[in-house]
Amino acid sequence: MDQAIVVEQLVKRYGDFPAVDGITFAVPHGTIFGLLGRNGAGKTTTLECCIGLGKPTSGSVRVLGLDPTRARDLARMRPRIGVQLQATSLPEKANVREVLVLYAAYYGIAPRAAEMAERVGLGDKLDRQIAQMSGGEQQRLALALALQHDPDVLFLDEPTAGMDAFGRRILWNEVERLRDAGKSIVLTTHYIEEAERLSDRICVIQRGKIVAEAPPAELVARYGGDATVSIVADGFAPGESLDGLGTWTLAGAKWTLATRGEPGLALAAIVTHANEIGATITSLDMHRPTLEDAFIAITGETIGEAE
Amino acid sequence: MTLLRMFAIQTKMNFVWYFRRDGEMMFWTLAMPVFFLVLFSFAFSTGPNSGSATFLVPGIIGAQVLSSGFWGVGVMLATFREKHLLRRVYLTPMPPWVFFGSLVVYRMVLLAAQAVILVAAGALLFHVRITGNPLEIFAILLLGTATFISLGTIIGALARTTESANNIASILTVPLAFLSDAYVPIDRFPHAVSSALRMLPSTQFIDTFRDVSTHGAPLAHYGAWIGALVLWTIAGTVISARTFRWV
Repeated sequence: MDQAIVVEQLVKRYGDFPAVDGITFAVPHGTIFGLLGRNGAGKTTTLECCIGLGKPTSGSVRVLGLDPTRARDLARMRPRIGVQLQATSLPEKANVREVLVLYAAYYGIAPRAAEMAERVGLGDKLDRQIAQMSGGEQQRLALALALQHDPDVLFLDEPTAGMDAFGRRILWNEVERLRDAGKSIVLTTHYIEEAERLSDRICVIQRGKIVAEAPPAELVARYGGDATVSIVADGFAPGESLDGLGTWTLAGAKWTLATRGEPGLALAAIVTHANEIGATITSLDMHRPTLEDAFIAITGETIGEAE
Repeated sequence: MTLLRMFAIQTKMNFVWYFRRDGEMMFWTLAMPVFFLVLFSFAFSTGPNSGSATFLVPGIIGAQVLSSGFWGVGVMLATFREKHLLRRVYLTPMPPWVFFGSLVVYRMVLLAAQAVILVAAGALLFHVRITGNPLEIFAILLLGTATFISLGTIIGALARTTESANNIASILTVPLAFLSDAYVPIDRFPHAVSSALRMLPSTQFIDTFRDVSTHGAPLAHYGAWIGALVLWTIAGTVISARTFRWV
């Protein structure tokens, strides 16, 4: 078994609406798999089908070789998976310590409340009640609950939605640490930066279908388009020394080079050329294709922010 | 061992989270029933029934059993689902019986506390005397609680939202409290009506409980009703188990 998770031809319909419409992917052990897409693309539904919260209309899901639609398999799966869900899902009057102690009891392990709280930056908030915590703090507690029993597979649904920069850094570091410890992780996100930083492979989901799947760098290389270097300089025109770098276009006073090569080298050559012909540079701009460019090229739309 | 510890901690947390830290809940549970007792005792004291407090103490305890099942468990479960608490615990290895069992223990202990307070208030204020066999009183109280918790769980299983669970619980609890011999003696109704009302499990439970506790009647006299309550409990449990949704 070299795959932690295998999803094949997964379909989940709500009435006539196909929330997930034939999704296939596999997550190798010890890797982070990012499901990237807009809100409502079908990421959460896919994840819910993996953890037994949703029953697939058709298709199959295997987590650690187990089928979450079968009660017996699901029971064997539960101690081995950790889940962080989107919405608040803890009693308002409970405090951090109590929740960690109770969840330790659910898994039959010794509670590690102080240690876990410390790990997610809540070390000084053990007695804080859920109702008095910010959304980000609740999300970090949810992560601690997902990790306390040391699961083999982690499912994180929009783990940093509503988190501040501090919480986001804690979560990202923790997720990377877990991957390095050999855990397999599936995360859904609509934050490009998060998907790019964490994922070994990214799967772009749009309207319930996978529209692209590859490591982040490969998605950018394949779909991100050319790098560009733009220059506005008095008396500038591309000369012989710049031939072969790529394609030049002129818009107003701005010359733009689209290149498949290394834009830094092209930029250096352009500056040298401008100096040689005595052109005074007014502005100079370089743009390397990003995952966001790739996302827009793939889906034909921007990812948008959470409302 | 692991399961016992899980059960113990879950039960303790039920008390801490849903009772001790919830002032409103404490008030409704501990003070309101006594308030009802005093209010209704004075309201009915001019009537022919001289022992109105003696009638009311078991009646109010019985009504509390009903609302404990319908509100305390039924509506609570719907709230848990709406707030996504259910789906979260569903993801853990906790067996469902631990979750439901700890809720039942929690409600039963609260009911026992309510019963003790009402009996004490009845004795102090209105000289109500509980003459029945304590074991039999406990047995019928336990059975009634099981019946109405299992029926209440159906509300929690079928209601889509907290709001609809609230509506169902209100529609059931309020009329039943008045039609089941809890607050008002149903013998005041025409015979045909009171006979019909005695087919309700709520009436059968409250009448049995009252007769056993304040009249010292032997529980064995109520075999048919006890059998019916057991059947209701089984039906409620089976329907709940079949229809309950965690998500």
